[in-house]
Parts: sequence; structure tokens; C-alpha cells
Amino acid sequence: MGNRAEIPYGTLDLMVLKTLDTLGSQHGYGIARRIEQLAQSSMELNQGTIYPALLRLEQRGWIASVWGASENNRKARFYSITRAGRKQLAAETENWSRTVAMMARLLENQA
Amino acid sequence: MTFVRVLLSRIFGKGRTHAELDTEIAAHLSLLAADYERRGLSPAEALAAARRHFGPVAQLHETYRDQRRLPILDSLTQDLTYSLRQLRRNPGFAVAAVLTLALGIGANAAIFQVLDAVVFRSLPVRDPASLVQVQLLENSLPVHVSYPLYRQLAAGQQVFDGLVALSDFPLRQAVLRGRGSFRPVRGSIVTGNYFRVLGVSARAGRVFTEADDRPAAPPVIVLSDAFWNREFGRSPSAIGQVLEINGASGTVIGVTPPEFFGETVGAVPDVWLPISFQPQFMPADWLNAPSHSWLTMMGRLRPGISARQAVSALDPLYGRLEALTAQSPKREYRVQLQSASRGIDVLEQRFGRPLWVLAGITGLVLLIACSNLANLMLGRAAARTQEIGVRLAIGAGRLRIARQLLTEGLVLSIMGAAIALPLAASGARWLVAWASATAGWRLSVALEWRHLAYLASIAVTSTCLFALAPAWAATRIDVQSALQSAHRGLSGGRFRNRLGRCLIVGQLSVSLTLLSAAALLAHSLWNLRHQDFGYETSGVLMADIPLEFTKAMMKQRTALREPLYLRMNAIPGVRSAAISAFGVLDSVVHTCSLSIPERPAQAGDLTRRVHISPRYFETIGTSILAGRGITETDRAGSPGVVVLGQTAARTLFGDANPIGRFVSTARSFEAKDALQVVGVAADVRFSSPRDPFGFVIYVPLTQDPAPVTAVFVRAASGRAHLAPAVRAAFHEVDPTLLVGAIHPLAESVEAQLGNEKLLALLSACFGVLALALTAVGVYGVIAYAVQRRTQEIGIRLALGAERGAVSRMMMWDVAVLAAEGTLLGAAGAIAATRALRTMLFAPANYALLIAAAALLFLIAAAAGYLPARRAARLDPVQTLR
Repeated sequence: MGNRAEIPYGTLDLMVLKTLDTLGSQHGYGIARRIEQLAQSSMELNQGTIYPALLRLEQRGWIASVWGASENNRKARFYSITRAGRKQLAAETENWSRTVAMMARLLENQA
Repeated sequence: MTFVRVLLSRIFGKGRTHAELDTEIAAHLSLLAADYERRGLSPAEALAAARRHFGPVAQLHETYRDQRRLPILDSLTQDLTYSLRQLRRNPGFAVAAVLTLALGIGANAAIFQVLDAVVFRSLPVRDPASLVQVQLLENSLPVHVSYPLYRQLAAGQQVFDGLVALSDFPLRQAVLRGRGSFRPVRGSIVTGNYFRVLGVSARAGRVFTEADDRPAAPPVIVLSDAFWNREFGRSPSAIGQVLEINGASGTVIGVTPPEFFGETVGAVPDVWLPISFQPQFMPADWLNAPSHSWLTMMGRLRPGISARQAVSALDPLYGRLEALTAQSPKREYRVQLQSASRGIDVLEQRFGRPLWVLAGITGLVLLIACSNLANLMLGRAAARTQEIGVRLAIGAGRLRIARQLLTEGLVLSIMGAAIALPLAASGARWLVAWASATAGWRLSVALEWRHLAYLASIAVTSTCLFALAPAWAATRIDVQSALQSAHRGLSGGRFRNRLGRCLIVGQLSVSLTLLSAAALLAHSLWNLRHQDFGYETSGVLMADIPLEFTKAMMKQRTALREPLYLRMNAIPGVRSAAISAFGVLDSVVHTCSLSIPERPAQAGDLTRRVHISPRYFETIGTSILAGRGITETDRAGSPGVVVLGQTAARTLFGDANPIGRFVSTARSFEAKDALQVVGVAADVRFSSPRDPFGFVIYVPLTQDPAPVTAVFVRAASGRAHLAPAVRAAFHEVDPTLLVGAIHPLAESVEAQLGNEKLLALLSACFGVLALALTAVGVYGVIAYAVQRRTQEIGIRLALGAERGAVSRMMMWDVAVLAAEGTLLGAAGAIAATRALRTMLFAPANYALLIAAAALLFLIAAAAGYLPARRAARLDPVQTLR
């Protein structure tokens, strides 16, 4: 596992929102798997940690959830992004891009 | 917004439970395991791998829980359950604390409720803040205005959105006829713009307007909601019915809303009549009588006009006023505006001060209760030193410990407040019922949200008062010593002891203040009751005959004079009987001027004119100091005579003999209708035991006719229960006469003392309560001191100290404490004396204060004696082991 990074603090929420925005309604496993696929094993994720994130996002009204059946027919909660969530996603994305650009400039100059 | 949403979803949990989370986790794990199986792992291996990949479930639950709820709410719930458990473990303490708080909070809230109704509450009308009472001052004295004068002012002014004139006194004792037996009804006469200016509309039918207030308009009547209920059971058919009030008939056109009680706090009229109606139900037309001043004025200031601007705008009107009254000596007029947002406050003048005194007393009682509780809580915290030490040691924050203790206090307060709420509501009702029982006013003290807010705020304040200090003290303990000296349980005791002693000294001093106030008020009541009223209160019956201001009644009453006098004197068992108009304890006062050639009437003279029959003085027991009383020889045709009250005689004639001299009832002496003084009567407290002695003249009813308003009957010795015979006699003389209450004079006097009795009674009750609380407090503090010094006392005893010396040592402690409290309290007592001075009917009485101090000292000493004696009886062997 050696070289895999932890999830940067505060980015999990953004990842979940982006995933739901892209894939539509998903259960927790689906979201976790998607994040891992995109990270291409460059990131270590205890899949359980997305549940507090999901609760947090739902409490803020950015995602909504309903009970449904999973692929193997078990009761699972399906999450989807809300309109407020999309707005938040847009704002966060822009914020994130700015931060990344800034970090990049900063590191280039230092090098 | 997001914050609020998060808060709400956290408080209400959004139905998320851990069971649901478990379901989600199970689904997740099965999907993840299936994935691993597809990659070729055996089912068992796949599940293990899935578990690893998922991460620790327990930790997830914990994170989830913290996030799902408000942690502070959780710990509050914890604190609450813990507090309840603590209180249940010590039910005696809990019950005592809750009851003390309930009493303290309830008493405060009850007084506030009444105070609110009397002093704070705004009139339930549109924009009460812009209402003002327009008071005319004549030579700086407030006077009523006549109707013509009002018309001039109303027409000439430009600062008010309507100027209203009103009067409730002519119809205060009106009679309702034609609906079964005659009944008293209370009416208010107002100008037609009254309801428009106040902004009050009808709850049924309509209110009257300027159009109804014209001489030619058909007479109309507006009912109060209470009267509508009483007379018509709220039936809509009341509208359109004809009511006969004081012999004049008017049509009911509407009912006012239930919360509306008129413009005078406590007056609560049954009916409102337009002023143009006045000549029909009163004996004289006062609408065209510039000399009859009887109206009160109220106006609504135009927007943007201040009271000061209004006063200066009214200035030019005074010139016209002077021309209008055209009297000599010339008088100076001014107008004064008083805010009438709370209505015209008669009750505040009468009850404002006593209520504030009661508020002060109950506030002090609550303070004592809180201080007592603080001491109890300190003691409990001391007993829990070890427990608190353990909790600190295993990592509880000091703040958390303090919060726990505060929560305990809050639980007590909330339980106290819950009991206090009904207590306050019924207390307020009882207070009003008592104070208004005989006074003829009504006041609604319905519970409002303001009262609840007040109750809650005093509950919280008292929690802070009694729980904060112990909570703070509890956090000051040193963990190590707390745990080590656990078996002694007394670490940190010195600070606590000092705090406790301070509290007790404060309690003692406040108690002394309360005791002195109670003693002063009781003494004042005793003085009022046992003073010389100028008449005898025992053995005399008084029958009220409500004064009905109608032409027919005036005639009837005049005609009744002779037959009533004769018939009453003929009742078997009656030693003497007399009739009078506007005499002792009468609600209507008749005044006039009084002058002699050397001294014309002066501003500020207020002369009472009492019309009496023969035998008046002997019947009520007023002594004749010189000359004679009114007798049967003073007839209609004979020379006019008068009996002077003592004060009037002394002021007018000094030391000279007034008998045979002449006085006049004009402002300056006029010989043609002068009256000859035939006697001087002792001064009398006319309306209330607090009345100052003023000028009084007694004139014979035969020479100066007036409607009979009261009959006095003195029973022959040993004859009681004459009231039925007196009532029968009335009926025999004139069955149509409405006779009011017939009761012993002593009862009426007692009724006048209602305020004083209430104050004395309540302050005495609260004083005793304070004393009891303080005694408990002293006991507690000394008992704690003994406990704290058990070891020391044991050593002393072991080394050979005498038991007497030990108990002396402890008693010395008590004495110092009591002395400190008493000295501090003496200052409070003197302050109380000063605050009460204007209400007291007694000279400053320091003997009383000293007695109160001595009583307090004794009680404190007695309370301290019990634990002190116990100290002396300690067994040194046991205490040292």
C-alpha cells in the first residue's frame, strides 16, 4: 500500500458531490467504488468513511436519499444530488481549481 | 441558512438511526464482498477482505453519532438525567428546594401580574402611545371642565386628532329599571367621538359616533362585553332593545370588545352613553351650564406633534377661558398633558406604591430563598467532594462539572417555576379580589405571555443566584487532596465556609429588613384602626342609598326625608336614627366655599358640606365640643344654622368663641345668606382612616335640602341584627327606593383599610417565611462548621477542654454571625423605614426596629444552638479515630 496517499482533508465531500452529479442516483458502495476507480489506486479509502460524509451532505441539504434495492437485491440507501448541491458543487469546483492553480504557481516559483 | 438547516436536522435527527446505518453497511459489505468473490476469493476470504476495505465499523458508528446529533444536547441530556438521579437520591432536599423556589417565584410573578395590570399595561386601543389626558389647571390645581368650555377647546385646537370629554361619576351609581328588580348599573358619559378617537370598534352591532351625539339624535347605549354577558347572556337580540337607566330610555346599538374596559384603569363601566343624552337622565342640564365643571378630557396627539408643542399651541386659548369663566378673583389657567397610553390611572395612584412595596418584599424573599438554596447546594457539593474529585481525575473538565451543578439548579428552578405558575395566577386573582372587594372597581389579571416570560426570567435569574456560586466553588477543589482526604470529605471547605457565612450574613440582614418593614406596616395598621375616627364605629348600622342623579329621584328623596327619619327612629330596639347626605363614608362628596367677613375663602380650602337630620351626632357618636348639634327646631323657615367641624372653627375663629358668629358658603362673605354657627363638632375621618382633617360644615337637611344618601341607626344596648328591620322600614316608606348595603359602620371602616391590611398581612407572612428560611440557613452553616471542625473539637476535648467551653466557642461563632447580620440589617431596616415613610400612619418607631433586631438575633442564636450543643457532645475517641 506504501505509496498511496490519504484523502486530502475536506475533499471527500467534493468527490461525493461530483460523483453523484456525474452518475446520478447511487448507493454508498457505488459512490465509493467510483471514487476508487477514478483515483486509480493512487489513494487509500476506507470505504466506510463516506457514510459520515453522506450524512453531513444530507444535513446540509446538498444531497437527498431514498431507500431502494441494490444490484444483489439488498435494502440500500440511494443518494442523489439536489439543486442546492449542484450550486455548491459549482462553487467548490471553482474554489478548488483556484487553489490548485495557486499551489502550482507557488511550487513552480519555489523550484 | 445552511447552519440553521444543519441544526434543525441534527436536533430532529431526520429519522437516522444506527440500525439504518447498519442496514446500509450490510448492503455495502455484501456488494464489496461480491466484488472480491468475482476476483476469485472464497466467500469467507471475500467477506474478510471487504471488512478490511470498509474500515472499522465501531469507529464509524461513533463518528456518525457525533455528527448525527448535537453533542451539547447529548451532554445536556446526560446532565439532566444525572441531576434527576441526584435529586431523587435526596428527595427531602429536592422537595424543600422546589417548594421554596415555587413560593418565591410564584409570589414575585403574582405581584408582577397585578403590577402589570395596574401600572404597565397599555390600553387595548389603537396606538395608545399617542393618547394624552388633557388636564386643565386652575391656579395650579387640577380641575374638571364644563361642557361649554370643552366645546370651545375642541373647536379651537389644532393639535389633536380629536379631543374627547368624559365623566363617569354622575352615573357611577345609576339604576337600571324595567328588567326585573332594580339593579345598579355603572355608566360612563362620553362625547360622540370617544370610540373613534380611541380606535375601538364594536364586537357586535356598532359603537356610537358624532352623529349620535346631537341633541336631536335618538338616545343610544353601547354595552360592555361583561354587561352584555350578565344581562343578556351574549344574545345578539340585545341589540335594538331599550334600556331604562336613571329613568331615561335609550336603545342598545352595540357591544365593545371583551378586552376593552374604558379609559380609566379599574373603572370598567357597564354602559357608555353619548353626552347629548345627559339632560334626560340627570336632574339638571349640564350641557349648557358653564359653571358646572365635571368633565375629564383626553386627546390623541396628531402625528409629529409632541406634548410640549401641543401645550404651547393651546396657550392662546387661555385668554378665552378667563373670559368664559369671568370670575373674581382672577384665576390663572394652564393645561398639562399626561400620557394616557395606559389609560387614566386612578388605581395606580392608589395601589402603585403598595404594589411596589409588595414587589420589593417578594423580591427580597426570593433573594433569601436563593441564598438559602445556595448554602444547601454548597453543603451538597461539600458532601460530593470525593465524587467530584473522581470525576475531575478521570478527565471531566471543570467547566463540565460546573455545568452539571448548574443543570441541577436549573432542574430545581424549572420544577419550582412549574408549581409557581398556577400559584402566581391564583395569587394575582386573590390579590385583586381582596383589594377590590369593597372598592367598586374591577381589574382583569388574565395570564399573558409577558407574565410567562417574567416567570421564566426570574426562574433563570434565581438559578444563577443560587447555583452559580456553589458551581464555582465545586471547581476550585484540588483533585489530589479531594481524593486523599475523601474520608473526611472536607477539602476546599474553607472557601466554601467563607462563602456560606457571607450568604448567611446577607440573609440575616435581608430578613431584618423584611421583619422591620412588616413590623412598621403592622404598627401603622394598628394606629389607623385604633385612632380616634371622630365617630364611634361599634353599634351603628349604616344603610347606603345609591345616589341616582334624576329629577324624579331628587324629588322623591327630598320627600322621603321626614317619613324616613320618623320611621327609622320608631324601629323597636333603635336608640336613635339619623339621615344624611354626603356624610361619613359616603362615596359622593359635596363641597362648597366657606368664608367669614375677616377671611374670604382661600385657594386650597376644600370644605365638605354635610346635610344632616336631627340626632345625627348622637347616632354616629361624634362629640359636640361647643354649642349644640342640629335639632328639630331647625326648620325650613327658621334662621339658617350651621355646625362647624373643629378644624374649620379653629382656622376661621382661632381661640375666639365661634358660637353665634356668622359664616357664608360663598367665596367672599355675603351677609344675606349667612348662617349662624350653633355648634362645633369634633373632627372626623370622612372617607378613609387616612383622611386628613379638613373643613367641614354640617347643615340641616330641612334648610339646605339634598337627596338622602345614607341612614344611620344606633342600636339600643344588647340589640343586634337590626339590619332586616331597617330594610323592612325602607320598604314600608317607599318600595321603589333602591337601598344598597346595610352594614355595621365598623365593617365599612375595616373595608377602607383593605390596602393596609393586605400589606401588613402579606409582609408579616413573608417576614415569617424569611425568618424560617434564615433559621434553617443558620442551622445549616453552623452544623457544617461543626462537621468541619469535628477533628479540632475532638482534639480540644481530648486535651481536656470542658464541654461548656466547646459549646461556648461554637456559640460565639453563632453570635458573631448574628451580630454581623443584625448590624448590616439595621442599615436595611432604616432604609425600609425611609422607603415606607409616606405610607406609614405612624411616627418613626425605633423601639420596633430594635425589637425586630432582637427577635432576629434570638432566632439566629436558637438555630445555631442545636449544632453547637452537638459539638460539645462529640465523643473525642470517635472523632479522632
